[in-house]
Amino acid sequence: MKASRSFSEWTPWLFLAPYLLIFGTFVAWPLTRSLVLAFEQTYGPKTTAFVGLLNFQFVLHDPLFWTAVRNTVLFTLAAAVTQIPAALGLALLLNRPDIRGRRLFRLIFFTPSIVGLAFVAIIFTLLLEKRTGFVNSSLHSLFPVWDPDFPWLESYVMPSLIAAALWLSAGFYMVYFLAALQNVPAELIDAAHIDGAGPWQRFRHVTLPEIRPVLNIITLLVVTGSLQLFELPYLFYNDTAGNGPENHALTIVTYLYQTGFRTGDLGYASAIGWVLTLVLVGFALLQRRMTQRGES
Amino acid sequence: MSPRPGDRASLTSRLLIYGLLVVFGLMTLLPFIWMLCASIKTKGDFYTSQFLPPGHGFLGVAWDRLTLSQFAQLFRDLPVARAMLNSVFLASVCSVVATLCCAAGGYGLAKFRFRGRETVTSAILGTVVVPTALLLGPSFETLFHLGLVDHYAGFILPTLAPAFGLYLFRQAMVNSVPPDIIEAARIDGCGEIRIFFQIVLPIIRPMLSAFLVISFIGIWNNFITPQIVLQSPERYPLSVAIFSLRGLYGDDNSLIMAGTLVAIAPVMLLFLLLQREFISGLTSGAVKG
Amino acid sequence: MSSARFASSRALSPGIWIILLLAVVSTTGVLLMPAPERGGAVLWTFIDYNGKNYASILAAWNRAHPDTRLQAKVIEYAALQRRMLTGFFSGTPTADLLEVERSIANRAFIGPLDRVGFVDLTDYLRADGLTDEIAPAVYTPWSSRGRIFGIPIGFHPVLLAYRADLVEAAGIDVSQIETWDDFFRLLRPLMFDRNGDGQPDRYLLSGWNNNPNTIDILLLQADAQLFDPAGRPTLDTPRNAEILARLVSWFAGPNRIAADASDFTFAGNRQRLEGYVVATFMPDWLAGSWRKDLTPLAGKVKLMPLPAWERGGRRTSAWGGTMIGIAKSAPRPAEKWELVKMLYFSRELAETNFNEFLIVSPLRRHHHLPMYDRPDPYFCGQPVGRLYLDQENNVPTRPSSPYTQEALRLALDVLGTLKQHAEATGRYDAASLEPLAHQLLAEAQRSLLRQIARNPFLLAAP
Repeated sequence: MKASRSFSEWTPWLFLAPYLLIFGTFVAWPLTRSLVLAFEQTYGPKTTAFVGLLNFQFVLHDPLFWTAVRNTVLFTLAAAVTQIPAALGLALLLNRPDIRGRRLFRLIFFTPSIVGLAFVAIIFTLLLEKRTGFVNSSLHSLFPVWDPDFPWLESYVMPSLIAAALWLSAGFYMVYFLAALQNVPAELIDAAHIDGAGPWQRFRHVTLPEIRPVLNIITLLVVTGSLQLFELPYLFYNDTAGNGPENHALTIVTYLYQTGFRTGDLGYASAIGWVLTLVLVGFALLQRRMTQRGES
Repeated sequence: MSPRPGDRASLTSRLLIYGLLVVFGLMTLLPFIWMLCASIKTKGDFYTSQFLPPGHGFLGVAWDRLTLSQFAQLFRDLPVARAMLNSVFLASVCSVVATLCCAAGGYGLAKFRFRGRETVTSAILGTVVVPTALLLGPSFETLFHLGLVDHYAGFILPTLAPAFGLYLFRQAMVNSVPPDIIEAARIDGCGEIRIFFQIVLPIIRPMLSAFLVISFIGIWNNFITPQIVLQSPERYPLSVAIFSLRGLYGDDNSLIMAGTLVAIAPVMLLFLLLQREFISGLTSGAVKG
Repeated sequence: MSSARFASSRALSPGIWIILLLAVVSTTGVLLMPAPERGGAVLWTFIDYNGKNYASILAAWNRAHPDTRLQAKVIEYAALQRRMLTGFFSGTPTADLLEVERSIANRAFIGPLDRVGFVDLTDYLRADGLTDEIAPAVYTPWSSRGRIFGIPIGFHPVLLAYRADLVEAAGIDVSQIETWDDFFRLLRPLMFDRNGDGQPDRYLLSGWNNNPNTIDILLLQADAQLFDPAGRPTLDTPRNAEILARLVSWFAGPNRIAADASDFTFAGNRQRLEGYVVATFMPDWLAGSWRKDLTPLAGKVKLMPLPAWERGGRRTSAWGGTMIGIAKSAPRPAEKWELVKMLYFSRELAETNFNEFLIVSPLRRHHHLPMYDRPDPYFCGQPVGRLYLDQENNVPTRPSSPYTQEALRLALDVLGTLKQHAEATGRYDAASLEPLAHQLLAEAQRSLLRQIARNPFLLAAP
């Protein structure tokens, strides 16, 4: 783009002003403030006391925090190995010109991601209820040996959350894969076909390298999104403020929310938030390095 | 796209694919169908039948036992109409203003070369990695000091500057607004504001409407921020209002399903109307088409 | 190229028009909505029936005092908690009077004493000579560091409700039961397996090791204290280790007698109707809720004192509770105190609470009322009120620490670990689990102390 000399130097700032004003007040300032808060103990915004590194020292020895870390990491791994293959699989099924009704199926698979998390939580807690829930009652009528009182929500916390998250996001990421697959040059596939490559080999050696940039982005989205998992478990187990039975549903962000808004300790919540930020930045950097290595 | 040699697969493999698609499609849709059925059943039938109550009517369904009383109850006895108004208000106002803010900001960053541009760009885009939860506390504190807790503005203002939106619009400006048009307009004597509204915005129309719909749905579905910021029930959006039904009427699942249906139907409708814009807008950030 | 022509040649797409239209219409709508009027004092309550409950009392008050009117607003439990805490933390408006449940009230006691959002009622109670109206032990959940912040609606003794039809059909005489061991031994024949799935068709007790209510009731009953009277945590006592170790065999192993029939869910209630569980912990308010919601069980349930942990031991416990408190932000607190007295100390409320919800009043002045001796057909003609009132002096003192829930959660974690250990080793007897229980409780104690030590606002109780 060649530089234009005909505008006044204030013009770009004029266009940026509304955005920057809001961004400064509600993103940049709170971010700076959270750095200060992380060294304070608070009881709501009105009562604060400086405590130095105590919050960070405590977070390292806080068993509840480590429970939250374990649950979050478990969920993230499970989300990555369920959602990405499911999304890619659906996209591959739909990316065939000889299948009719592709747009209808794409629409169907995508609809769950329009539903808000609060509503997903309401629907799934009812679906997964003992006895009266749809999942147990239909499994019981299909397979009579299935226990109609199978305690999904009570004893299978992670599988329940993972199922809900899968239902919600598979179609969402599918759309990205579909867009990427449609950009794979047909000649490449044809050439591989003529060379006698089987379907798996064509996928492995032609399609996959072509869609790798999107795969990387999706992985980043799934992982960073899952590490911030909050609404789903919080609303599933609203009666225990998101802890769930034996704390199995407690995630890092749920814990942050509880300390900040139920205990009023915005300081400790900030410390937890910064630890999480470090993990996220670390993962993003790691992923970037791996992407670059893959390309070179 | 022309059919490729490999795509004319055998009938069996095509049948297999259809079979898989139908199975997965059903699995995706069943929760919706179940919810729809639950919302028009009586409280008693909710527990005794999976979909519609069995009876002697057409298709073996007891059509006469279906009821719309849950919906009547939602709108007559419960503040759902008010929550609906709040949701529409918050989602539409936030998405319109946020779109303008981001479009203007993206334009400023993409089409002007000025001192500090790189710093501003990387500062804004850098915040994408910051978890939203980190800002919950300090943002609440900021709202408290500004006196905006429990005001609509306290919810609206912080949603107006999403980093993702700025990124999308900057990208759209770089890709689809040719610098020559702007230059030509300047030579014609157009003011900068007029150039932006009359020339630039019409060109990026597809992105405008995509981002509008995306933010509308995102804000409609937002639960945590309104739950923290908007304290009075008369300001609750549907997400918070319907979820609190579960606390007060926890045993009336038909009512809760009806409420959920009412809350997701408007965005479903909007999505069905505008799905093409929505999906292309979503993917344009990640996949260059 | 003319820029004006360039613009007008392209119409905006439907999405933009729809959303712009929605924005204009809804903004107009919101602007036209009348602001809610705030006349007089407001009471927030989370229990639907209480709004109606107070209707006649409030109507009478408002007729007599047109210048200090009071209106009740029902707010969902979680929303009430959020709004109360946000109000206390940040000064957003709250109601003048707050009717809140135990776990919510507790949350307000974490900060410095002078920042507790409720008005300190201790001196008002003393000035009006009402301190002895309610047993001192009943006040502890509503107190912090020795100051009373709320008036409880009841003291909620726990009895055991059992399926009299099943028990009597089996020819079992419950009057012979004094301890939990007696209970399990005598009722054991009810746990047969007729459907042949290898599991008993029925269990003796409703409850589970990860259900905080179950464990809280049993620990309180056993005097397994999580805090000392000064509010310091005492998780690692021999008594706690013993009780937790003994509880393992209730929930796991060959002698398991408990099953999880969840409260207040349709599935749990259906299990109760089918007789999947024989006995359930029954505070007064839950008895009222059963009588209202579980009508098919009418005439099939009876109440008995809890079997004790040891002969001569405590035969009751405590579960739940609601208090009324005055927000510090409320203008003219003395006048609000009059409202509280009018509501919570009235005979009319004691009568509605018992007749509608079986909640027995904590006020001694009402305990002679004849309604408490009335036979109740739902409970096979037992004098329900008297059965609960008989336990008044045995109800355990509950801790007032804002860390009560954390301590209980830690105890639950210990029990869970013990259970896993027992399942892994196949040894479920208390004696072999006790050393591990000691060790785990010591860890839990350290963890809780660390958590409390980092709170600079909560000074040790006087």
